[in-house]
Amino acid sequence: MTGAVNNTPLLTKKKKKSIFKILWDQKLLMLMSVPVLLYVLFFNYYPLWGWRYAFQNLDLNNFKKGAEWFGLGNFEWLFGREDFLNSIRNTLAMSVINLIVGTLASILLAILLNEVRNRGFKRTVQTVTYLPHFLSMVIVVGMAQNMFLTDGPINNMLIASRLIDKPVFWLGEGKYFWILVAIINVWKEVGWNSIIYISTMTSIDPTLYEAASIDGAGRFKRILHVTLPGIKSTFVVLLIMNIGHLMEAGFEIQYLLGNEQVIDFSQTIDVFVMKYGISSGNYGRAIAAGMFKSIVGIILLFGANFVAKKLDEDTLL
Amino acid sequence: MKKLLAGILALAMVLSLCSFAVAADEPITVTVFRGDPGDQPTDDNKIYKMIEEEFGIKFEIEFLAGDLDETLGTKLVNEDYPDLFDGGNSAEKLINAGALINLLDYISEEKTPNLYNHIKDLLPQLVNENGELFIIPNYGINYNAQIQNACNGPAFFIQKQVLAWDNYPQIKTLNEYFDLIERFVAAHPDEGYEGFAILCEDWRHFCLINPVQHLMGRPNDGEVIINVTSGNFETETFIDKDYAKPYYAKLNEVYNKGLINPDTFVMTYDQYIAKLSSGKVVGMFDQTWDFGTATAALETAGMYENTYIALPLVYDESYGFGVIEEQYLNGAVPNKDRGFGISVSCEYPERMINLFENLLSDEWQKILQWGIEGEDYYVENGRMLMTQEQYNNRQDATWKMANTAVAIWESAPKKQGTQDDGNAWAHSDQPENYFALMSEYDKAFLTAYGYQKPADFFNAPCELAPYGEAWQIDTAPIADANQDFLAVQDQWLPKVIMSATAEELDANWEAFVAEIAPYAQIKTEFMQAEVLKLVEQATN
Repeated sequence: MTGAVNNTPLLTKKKKKSIFKILWDQKLLMLMSVPVLLYVLFFNYYPLWGWRYAFQNLDLNNFKKGAEWFGLGNFEWLFGREDFLNSIRNTLAMSVINLIVGTLASILLAILLNEVRNRGFKRTVQTVTYLPHFLSMVIVVGMAQNMFLTDGPINNMLIASRLIDKPVFWLGEGKYFWILVAIINVWKEVGWNSIIYISTMTSIDPTLYEAASIDGAGRFKRILHVTLPGIKSTFVVLLIMNIGHLMEAGFEIQYLLGNEQVIDFSQTIDVFVMKYGISSGNYGRAIAAGMFKSIVGIILLFGANFVAKKLDEDTLL
Repeated sequence: MKKLLAGILALAMVLSLCSFAVAADEPITVTVFRGDPGDQPTDDNKIYKMIEEEFGIKFEIEFLAGDLDETLGTKLVNEDYPDLFDGGNSAEKLINAGALINLLDYISEEKTPNLYNHIKDLLPQLVNENGELFIIPNYGINYNAQIQNACNGPAFFIQKQVLAWDNYPQIKTLNEYFDLIERFVAAHPDEGYEGFAILCEDWRHFCLINPVQHLMGRPNDGEVIINVTSGNFETETFIDKDYAKPYYAKLNEVYNKGLINPDTFVMTYDQYIAKLSSGKVVGMFDQTWDFGTATAALETAGMYENTYIALPLVYDESYGFGVIEEQYLNGAVPNKDRGFGISVSCEYPERMINLFENLLSDEWQKILQWGIEGEDYYVENGRMLMTQEQYNNRQDATWKMANTAVAIWESAPKKQGTQDDGNAWAHSDQPENYFALMSEYDKAFLTAYGYQKPADFFNAPCELAPYGEAWQIDTAPIADANQDFLAVQDQWLPKVIMSATAEELDANWEAFVAEIAPYAQIKTEFMQAEVLKLVEQATN
């Protein structure tokens, strides 16, 4: 009785409800989100205060005395260097290559596994392909450095199969570096990245497949018209997230696999920062480069989100 | 009155002694950072136990794990200083950041005679512009005669079996060296020998960029060559000069004969060591300490004929630089600004100084460098000797963790050279140990040459120049230009060596010289000024 009486005024009042009232009504939810909020504030927003150093000539030699304001000096220095511009290009190129090759490879693997009916085989392949994800990059690159020697197994295999007639200097020529990085990344991450697609595929309504078969769709038609549309929204969400990370092509692999012979193609922004900012103790420059990276990252993220919205897909924000 | 005064003085003395004794007895734990990776000593380590009993000091040692500059940077920014702070090869950072105390405030002839005498002659070279000293060199301070059994620094190396195969020739010049390597590899076509390896990784690129100064007859001054005979110490970078080109042209010739594997330019230090340890690399330019693990591995495997001997090569007359006399060995160089400093956050700097003062006594130096008499060495007719087993123990990493204080000893001030009674300070320098404990192969090898020790291949060490060795000069003020100066070499020299034709070689060399010119000029000017400053400090 009383419930019915109270219901009507609540509904009519709803529009006038102040934000504080809403907050109060959801106080338990708010309370639960406090730790996360604090975490984000402390670890993601508080460090932004450090961005002021991007405008100071801060290095270890004057850390105790305090740095001086430097205007845009650090940025001028960065953008005046050809190798920094190169490293922006390398970062974007390797990101894009990794994104495309990595996504295609993991979708392909997911589709193939989805079509396999033998559960034991499926499980085994899945485990084998995602295990390298847990290897440290140091180990993976160490293996690659031996595999790709001029007299290493890869060259021997290619020569034995008559694909090339003299060994390729994989590690010492810049033009191969991006390809090597893509290969290593796919080998290491393809299984792991395909997990999310496989799980999406298992949630596709089986009746859709049945209906498609009844309509005369063969295996490829079913993949094309049922499986792929089924994972489309997952794909878009992941794509948007990855685009936000485009400026992070990685650090470890380029730092470990790169050498002075291929440096024009191997040096990413992070490696550059490591060398000229952190190792030489010049933190102002490191922070300026990091700031540039973050701002471009934010722009890319919002850009991708905007485009996805226009295309009327699921958006992230 | 006088009696009263004397009484009071005596009382004061007793009291001060008492208070000193109490303070010195109070057990403390000292935090230590070492700028190199290392092995943690065992809890029941016998030497640390003695130090704890005698001085009441326990050490909590942190070894470097990861990148040195990064680790130091983090420690400096967070002001997270250990009591004893060893900054390894980047100790300048600690000094520039003001993390260390000036040791000269604590060192005096009366209070710390051992430390005072240890550094007094070198003081003008060791102190900075303000007359402060933050770190006592960990190596390079000799007592009595300097002992040089082997070349510990840079040289061209060749497998001993190659010299034996050619009936022990005297190899003195670059051309003779590569000619021998070529003939040896050609005579053993099926064994997969690699003629010459060049390590280029990171700071170890000295294997690539340093040899020219030695070929011109100078000891190691890093990336510059200095005229010590004119009296004006003219300093210049050598890599961009005409006398550098013939070396890289020679390497190019050797490369095109297939004696250098292109992988050498991209290999990591670990791969390099693995290669040397396999015994398949015939020769290389390096510094002895840089491939010690490979030597140890070869010896453990009994492959003595594959271990390396150092050779002092020069350009022969055909290069047109006249007759060059080799001078690879230099007088002992105090390892300036390397070793332990005491951090500003250390609560008991006086006890630390007191510890080093006592550890520098003859008695403790013997314990640290030789061990305990009767256990680790024995004395016969006044000579300190080791049995084979005792000597082997000293090479055994596991044994060392339990029986030596190597982690502290390495970074602490130490006596080197010869003791007053004629024994060597370092057990490994003792001539009897050195020759008697050599492998039979090495003994036979040296005997074939009529030599006693590997250093007999070299001219005697020259007198150390007043500026020391120029590679020690801190390049922080020109850090950016210096980094580029090195990067251009790292990028171009392999290209020069891998040139396919003579025309390509010339074009690559010209492009290299043009690109490095601005940085070489900055480096030359900076180094010239620093060298003159050091010479002036040393002569005043």
